[in-house]
Amino acid sequence: MVKKQLEPLTTPMEKANFHIFPDFCKGCGLCKEKCPNDVLIWSEKLGVYGTPIVKPKDEESCIACLICEMVCPDAAIYIEKKRGKKAV
Amino acid sequence: MITPAIPKSWYLPSKPHKFCPGCGHGIVLKALGEVIDELEIQDKTVFGCDIGCSLLSWNFFACDSTQTHHGRTTPVMVGIKRARPELITIGYMGDGGGYSIGSQHLLNSAVRNEKVTLILVNNTNYGMTGGQMAPTTLPGQKTETTPYGRDPEKTGYPTKGPEFLAELTPEGAYIARATVSKYKQLKRFLKNALRNQMEGNGFSFVEVLSTCPTNWRTNAQQTWHFLEEEMEPVFPVGELKSPFGKGGDK
Repeated sequence: MVKKQLEPLTTPMEKANFHIFPDFCKGCGLCKEKCPNDVLIWSEKLGVYGTPIVKPKDEESCIACLICEMVCPDAAIYIEKKRGKKAV
Repeated sequence: MITPAIPKSWYLPSKPHKFCPGCGHGIVLKALGEVIDELEIQDKTVFGCDIGCSLLSWNFFACDSTQTHHGRTTPVMVGIKRARPELITIGYMGDGGGYSIGSQHLLNSAVRNEKVTLILVNNTNYGMTGGQMAPTTLPGQKTETTPYGRDPEKTGYPTKGPEFLAELTPEGAYIARATVSKYKQLKRFLKNALRNQMEGNGFSFVEVLSTCPTNWRTNAQQTWHFLEEEMEPVFPVGELKSPFGKGGDK
């Protein structure tokens, strides 16, 4: 069994750090459509099936509600909340 | 080092899993994995999967798994539970396996109030064979075998499993319907279903409304729209029967 190198792509934002694992992301877009603030956009990086992965468009609009992390069927997204920053 | 937010009970070498992009099975199994972690029952859980798309979960969990004939997950799980009552058995099936081919087993084990937990994933078609009409296909929905939309005059209305099981089961059963668009509620229902089996109250059944972008031919936006605006009005979400009572789902 080949051991997977799980290296996330990290985007620091105001309320949280956005981590995405390109080895897991299949580019289905469910997170992008479910996001209440339309934070996520398509990125130029490719995921495991050769489809674009998502990235946050800017640093301010994410409210760290964790909905994208919950609805990702592949557990590719991990939101690391910053201490002392409350979700709105 | 940053690790993915995956449950401990998932079997990591089999990831990324084999479901299509956007498939709801991954969300259901993620919720189930988190519930197994929270209840700390990984070492005594037996997971059984059916034929169809749900069989791709055969190596999903790092716990004892078995794969059965089409629709026969329910009797296999009932047999394991009767032979080894200390184990926690989880049957995992699709709507074709549960409501058409395996409906006799589902119905009779519900009547006998067997102490198993069954999870049925409803995506309104037979996904693995190319999207044919299933018992749960909505009226007017286009599938491979209903190219002009399902006609209720000819093929009837969608099967509402939790409703008929709630009528059949005696006290102590737990019957609910969840949806992958409400993740926290889905997790709560799955946890209640497993707790119900651990406490030995009786039959536990959760139907989960799920997505199938490949066979619905939808993009992500249309997928959520179909699930939330078209499926959820036909299949109302909520607990139909619970021994814990209202608000007793701590």
